[in-house]
Amino acid sequence: MTLDWAIVWENAGALARGAEITVLLAVATMLLAIPGGVLLALMRLSPVRPLALASAGFTEFFRNLPLLLVIYAAYYILPLTTGISFSPFATALVALALNVSAYNGETFRAGIQSIRKGQSEAALALGMSRAQVMREVVLPQAARRIAPVLASTWVSLFKDTSLVSVIAVGELAYTAMRIRSQSFRVLEMLTAMAAIYWALGYPQAKLTDWLYRRFGVRE
Amino acid sequence: MEIDLDFGPLIASWRFLLGGLGLTLALSALTVLCSLVLGGAVGLARCYGPRWLRWPLVFYIDSMRAIPVLVVLVWGYFALPLVSGVTLPPFWAALAALSVHIAAYVAEIVRAGIESVRPGQTRAALALGMSRAEAVCQVVLPQALVRMLPAFGSILSITIKDTAIASVIAVPEYLNCSQTLAGQSFRPIEVWFVAMAVYFMILFPVTRAVDIAYARLASLGRS
Repeated sequence: MTLDWAIVWENAGALARGAEITVLLAVATMLLAIPGGVLLALMRLSPVRPLALASAGFTEFFRNLPLLLVIYAAYYILPLTTGISFSPFATALVALALNVSAYNGETFRAGIQSIRKGQSEAALALGMSRAQVMREVVLPQAARRIAPVLASTWVSLFKDTSLVSVIAVGELAYTAMRIRSQSFRVLEMLTAMAAIYWALGYPQAKLTDWLYRRFGVRE
Repeated sequence: MEIDLDFGPLIASWRFLLGGLGLTLALSALTVLCSLVLGGAVGLARCYGPRWLRWPLVFYIDSMRAIPVLVVLVWGYFALPLVSGVTLPPFWAALAALSVHIAAYVAEIVRAGIESVRPGQTRAALALGMSRAEAVCQVVLPQALVRMLPAFGSILSITIKDTAIASVIAVPEYLNCSQTLAGQSFRPIEVWFVAMAVYFMILFPVTRAVDIAYARLASLGRS
């Protein structure tokens, strides 16, 4: 078997562009999914029952579907039901944001609920307002517990962006697989794809471990 | 906007879809089984194995956490046969790739479970004259296993979701069948709605059971 690694260098520009779109998609998704998650958590914790139920329903729905299915469903259902034609990137963004918002909502809710009730009660007894209690007592502590979980969600999201290659978003996996089928250099291109994902993902995974060690709850 | 739904083509192909569902469940069950065995071995070897083995195992685990499962799957199916000379049918290639990927997560769960048992207990067991193997099997593992159980439940739901990715290498599991049917029937909306309902009905009971297990078992095995 002859290997021709030159194909990778010849297409370095295209691969770099693909990696750029992967990063861009992950960042854009997180920028939508953090406010989305906050909203879901606030709805879930609110005393208004319909809001809490709607949030729980949304979360359970998207937590219990394969992401690939959500991507296909968004690709077919969005344009037909809204009448607007979405670009593949926009479709991918919607599907990923729905999925990650559901996970973030659970993360924020668990983070807020992990702060014992006695603390808020004590703060209220000291004459703080509800908003003050949230801002000055609950959130600073909850943030330390939320940060590492958010980091692992980010790592998962970064890897999951590869799935949108099925609807022809020109990110890293799609680009590498396209060059593979045009050049027939299967082993070289697929190995390069894996190596690039590894190089981008490995430090992120290690950083997440560090965040867990740094902020992890020890009891 | 008015959409008329017609589930006729779906109902007409129920055998085809049921076959896909069967394959999804079979692939999930086999993947969970293989990754528990492989991941359990890796996790134990990492904690108790020889020192020289630890570095490659940690490298394997962290690499799997860094590379998307789609990439492992596509590499294993298209590139690995060029290196090894052995071409596996899609189903077995998917089983191997998914197991290798998920086993890394299982290994992390096993390690976390073992490390959650305080080292003082092992020392106490050794001081009482137990052998190292006895201390591990009779003191550490029984407690560690209870704590690992809910996390193994999450592995089950992650696996069922990940098997959908096997559709990319043309394993005719449920998602792949839905794709075929969506193309042939010209009724994609109905097909995808039903697919969402089917996956939800499988996964929801699993995640509920895991949530309940977390709540029940969290207090058990605490030392």
